[in-house]
Amino acid sequence: MRPTFDPFVIPFVASMTFVLAYCIIGMIRIVFQLPKEDRRKFLRSLITPKIFWKNIKDLFGDSLFHVKIWKRKPLLGYMHSAIAFGWFMIIVVGHFETVALSPLKDMHLPLWEKLMSNLYMPIFFRYFAVEAPTLNAHIFAFLMDFFLLVIISGIVIAVVKKKRPRKVGLKRVTKFGLKEDLVRISLWTIFPLRFLAEASMANISGGSFLTKFIGFDLLFGGHYSETLSYILWWAYSTDLAIFMTLLPFSRYMHIPAEAFLILLRNAGLKTTEPRKGYAVAEIYSCPSCGLCIDVCPMSEVKENYRNTAVYFIRNIRKGKRRRDVKHKTEICLMCGKCIEVCPLGIDSLKIKMAQREKTYYKIKSDFEYLSQQTTDNRQQTVNKADKVVYFAGCMSHLTPKITRAMTKIFEYANENYEFLDKEGSICCGRPMMLTGKKEEAKALIEKNTEMIKKSGAKRLVLSCPICYRVFKEEYNLEGIEILHHTQYINELIEKERIDVDRSDKRYVYHDPCELGRVFGVYDEPRNIIDNIGLLTQGKSDKDMAVCCGGSIASLTMTKEERDEITKNAIKDLTLNHPEEIVTACPLCLKTFARFAPIKVKDIAEIVEENIVEN
Amino acid sequence: MTPSYDNTYTMKERNVLIIGGGPAGMEAAHQLKQLGFNPIIVERNDKLGGHLAQWDRLFPTSETAEGLLERLKENIKDVEVRLNSRITNIEKNAETFHVTLSNNKNFDVDAVVICTGFDLFNAEKKQEYGYGIYDRVITNAELEEYFKTHNDKRIDEPQRIGFVHCVGSRDIKVNNTYCSKVCCATALKQACEIKDEFPDADVYCFYMDLRMFGKGYEDLYLKAQKDFDIKCVRGRVCEVSENIEGKLVIKAEDTLLGTPMKMTLDLLVLMCGMEKSKGADEIQKMLNIESNKDGFIENLGAFVGMNKTKEKGVFVAGACTSPKTLPDTIAEARSTAMEVYHYLCNN
Repeated sequence: MRPTFDPFVIPFVASMTFVLAYCIIGMIRIVFQLPKEDRRKFLRSLITPKIFWKNIKDLFGDSLFHVKIWKRKPLLGYMHSAIAFGWFMIIVVGHFETVALSPLKDMHLPLWEKLMSNLYMPIFFRYFAVEAPTLNAHIFAFLMDFFLLVIISGIVIAVVKKKRPRKVGLKRVTKFGLKEDLVRISLWTIFPLRFLAEASMANISGGSFLTKFIGFDLLFGGHYSETLSYILWWAYSTDLAIFMTLLPFSRYMHIPAEAFLILLRNAGLKTTEPRKGYAVAEIYSCPSCGLCIDVCPMSEVKENYRNTAVYFIRNIRKGKRRRDVKHKTEICLMCGKCIEVCPLGIDSLKIKMAQREKTYYKIKSDFEYLSQQTTDNRQQTVNKADKVVYFAGCMSHLTPKITRAMTKIFEYANENYEFLDKEGSICCGRPMMLTGKKEEAKALIEKNTEMIKKSGAKRLVLSCPICYRVFKEEYNLEGIEILHHTQYINELIEKERIDVDRSDKRYVYHDPCELGRVFGVYDEPRNIIDNIGLLTQGKSDKDMAVCCGGSIASLTMTKEERDEITKNAIKDLTLNHPEEIVTACPLCLKTFARFAPIKVKDIAEIVEENIVEN
Repeated sequence: MTPSYDNTYTMKERNVLIIGGGPAGMEAAHQLKQLGFNPIIVERNDKLGGHLAQWDRLFPTSETAEGLLERLKENIKDVEVRLNSRITNIEKNAETFHVTLSNNKNFDVDAVVICTGFDLFNAEKKQEYGYGIYDRVITNAELEEYFKTHNDKRIDEPQRIGFVHCVGSRDIKVNNTYCSKVCCATALKQACEIKDEFPDADVYCFYMDLRMFGKGYEDLYLKAQKDFDIKCVRGRVCEVSENIEGKLVIKAEDTLLGTPMKMTLDLLVLMCGMEKSKGADEIQKMLNIESNKDGFIENLGAFVGMNKTKEKGVFVAGACTSPKTLPDTIAEARSTAMEVYHYLCNN
């Protein structure tokens, strides 16, 4: 008969209790930090069947398998799934094994002892168990060995990733301090130690191909040493205890936090405060994997890789000096690539925006001109039913080739349109939003809304993706369809309201961040170009398109830093020797024009150039 | 060591290649010829004079460009000039340079003077000013051409005329952070001239600063305001559009009054600044000479080394190293001739 308790389980039990308590208190705190409305939404979501099933699906798909990593970097996907899912299965199968075969099963113990033993028994089962000659026991032993092997294979990749990031498809990985190194090493050693401990007494407790045949028979030469085995069990438990104790203070906090984040996200919550509620769940869910480093345009300038999302989140989490957080908040171009690659979809941009709202920027705003603004009344008389209102925005007014092309396209299509801001624009409000000045932005938004509604049009066409975003997100234009001109022109071509000539001119298309990543308008511009010429590929496009460097979202980036990003983006775009660069944003256009060796045009320009007069 | 130039008897056989037949090239050739060398001017166009040949009158004295050009030409009538020629290769041998021209002719020279000058900034790069989009937006060069020929349909009894200073100069957004030096005075000169032609017109100059640094420039500024009623507005034009009648609508800011302004114009003149001549790129490649941060040819320092480059025997004169006025260019061409003289006598 083996014992049912040994002091070596104490470090594990203590640390596990601590982690559980820490996580529960943390969750309760976050729930209480949520705005009242959000809290109600969250609690309701937990009992809504549809969301409940989505939660289950996402917990498996996102936090155990990390489907998103598999899609981009299969090797890293395997690494994560091997460790996370393997560990999960060891816990689950371990519990079933305990239930089925535990030596305590038939004993009459006090309730608390039973509870405590339930905590450690599955983890250290092989120490307490004696090999049973049943089929059940063999199946369990095989499964446990199999998942142990899976985990160890994942750890091997993790070691390679750390030492040679390029081997797993990464240029740069996040850099860590001593504490993180210690936690990582304790994690890496948990399962090799478990293997050794189990293997060392596999002659007594049984095992399968890994622990018994490879471990006990080959590694230990079929020899059993009670002292060595006991030391190994202590080492395994202590190692687990080190990992568990440090977990809440390390990046491995993402393990419990991301499960919680998935619940909050599926409840439809978003960041409203930079250091409270949802944002905290996101911050603790960041595993510091560093996938965002390579894709961030700021990493183009080597020293600036520390401005990337992973370091920003780490700064906030550590409660770093205000200055560091402020710097990273303000320099960001908000192109959104980091969210796109983030295995958890952590929206650090929303945290940054919330942070900006908290900062006081000394900007004097003078909105006197709003009262003087009038619409072009000449066209008010036309039939309103099928009317389109065109809002060019201030950036398009600085690129008159776009507005000219658009007016010509409207005329060719025989459109019943009104050029709302022909005589001068009111800002859409996005620049104000980006400096956190929501109130000021509201004044602009209201005035524009009033003018657009007054026009009576049912459709609004915009030339600037920056405007497009704020119109879509912040304006209340019920009953009015909001279109970017790429969508509008594509519709004109598809409905054969305009006719274009096709040549074999080679174009490359640059996806503006706010049109592409934010709203997924990828196909319309490509479809238009397909009708006009040959679309060549750049190095990366669509959701991985590089920011042009001109983004108005960065408040502090220097010209030199922006220039590097622009030059790099041009290099990517001209990879396959296009004759012209086509984009759909007046700001991208102006930014590229400074360095591009070939012509840069807006999509409206190339349409207008190739239009066939009827 | 005082150089002893006993070897002047060999000078006649000493060839100096002068790249570019503008004012700098012509003046350098003239001086070198007088010093006894054999300068050879290679010019890609079919006539001498560079940009000078396109101007009408010169600031601040309003003397004709043609008069100056004739004098410069007169000085070099004995100099060998190869027009319509491009340099296809320059090869440096020990002390000489072997030059090949586009017509396959080749010869050896002992020194090279680069006088490739400047190109005017391409105003289409500043789309917001509408050049190439709106008919009535023209450049300083086109206005000068108009003064010469009086043949430009776009200039038709304009009632309101605007001049935009610093187009492509002191503008980080087009990567040109330097001042082009000549545009302030040119703008005021042209403003006075157009006012002379259309006395009823209102003429506005939109400037950042007026850099009236040269002899007689400040007087030109005072004269423009007092005698010609030119209105100088401190502030940049930010946006140009066209209204339904085809007139230009500009938006600007009067930074002295701190107010935004909107104005309708019949004609807008863009004062395009200078950029290094594109032709210089090939020459620099052949001679292994780099560009400075402004994109012009790098010379050896701002003071005594201004006529030299890091390559021995290769000299520079005129606007190829930085924007320059005509008096500066001519003075520099003369000093470069002296440097060539010292170099050849010591060799």
